[in-house]
Amino acid sequence: MRIRLVPATLAFGFVTALVLAAGSVFSAQAGDSKFQAILAWGTDDTKPPEGKESKPLDPEIRKQLKSLKWKNYFEVRRVDFVVPPGAMKKTNMSDKCEIEVKDLGSPNIEVALFGKGKEVTRVKRVPLPKGEIFVPYGNAPNETAWLVILRRIE
Amino acid sequence: MDYEAQLKLQAYLDGELPEKEAQEVANWLARDQEAAGLLTELRQTHKALGGFEEGIRLPESREFFWSKLEREIERLEPAAPRRTAPVRLLAQLRRLLVPMAGLALLVIAGLMVFPAGQSPEPMEATFADSGGMIHRDDMAKATFVSLAYPADDESADDEMGQPD
Repeated sequence: MRIRLVPATLAFGFVTALVLAAGSVFSAQAGDSKFQAILAWGTDDTKPPEGKESKPLDPEIRKQLKSLKWKNYFEVRRVDFVVPPGAMKKTNMSDKCEIEVKDLGSPNIEVALFGKGKEVTRVKRVPLPKGEIFVPYGNAPNETAWLVILRRIE
Repeated sequence: MDYEAQLKLQAYLDGELPEKEAQEVANWLARDQEAAGLLTELRQTHKALGGFEEGIRLPESREFFWSKLEREIERLEPAAPRRTAPVRLLAQLRRLLVPMAGLALLVIAGLMVFPAGQSPEPMEATFADSGGMIHRDDMAKATFVSLAYPADDESADDEMGQPD
C-alpha cells in the first residue's frame, strides 16, 4: 500500500514542528535560575572544629561527594541566589571567598571562584542541571579541605 | 446436436436467418424431434425472459448517438487542463514542503540532542595556579575542580574562610 503525504499533512507537520521547536527554545530561556552555594569543610575527624558553628552536610549531597577522600563534611555557610537569564551574579561565601556564576542558557553556566579578591579559577560551559553539583575544592591545613558546593535549585 | 446447430436454432427463433436458411431449418425441425424440442424450450425461455427485458430504444440512430457523444467529449476536453491547475500548484507546494518538513524534523532532533543553550563544546577551565584539574563522577552527577589553593606550603591561615 502506498502512503501519500498530502500537502496539508506536510504543512501541518511543518507548523507543528516549528511550534514545538520554538516552544522548547522559549521554555528553556524563560525565567531566572536559582542556585545554592554551600561552603563546606572536609575532614577525617568526626567532629567539626571547636568553637565554630557548623553542621553535618546534607546526606544527599554527602553521597555525591563519595569520590573525594575525606570521611566527614561540615556545612559552614549556605547561600541561595538568583541569576537572571544571561546575567552574572557574584556571591560572598566568606570574607575571603566569592563565587561568581554566569548564566549561559540553561543548564549551562560559567563559574569563577575568587580568593582574597583574586580569581583562583574560571570554568566555562559547565552543564549544571538540577540534581547535579559543581564542586571547586582545595586542601586546607591538617589534612582537611574546603569545598564550595554549587547546585541548581530551579 | 452440435453447438453450431444450436446457434442456428437460436438464430432461427430470433428471425435472423435468411429466408433460404430459415426454410432449411424448418425442414430440419420437421424431421428432427430433438431439434424441435430444443426450439420449443428456447421459445419458452425467450417468452419467460421477454417480460424482464425492457428494450432501450434510442431516439436517434446508433451512429448519430455515438457521434453526439464524441462531440460532447471534444467540447469538454479543453476544460480538463483548467481542473488540473490546482493539482500542479499543490504538487509544487509539496516539493517545497517536503524538504521544509525534513528540515524542521532535523531542527527538532537537534534540539532534543542539544537542548537549547546547551553547548556541545566541552568545559574549559583556567587556573591561577598550576595543579588545578577537573574530574567528573557521572554516577554521583558531580563535577569537581581540584585546586592548589591555598598551596600546601603557604601559611595555614584561613585562606577560603574555612574554620580554623
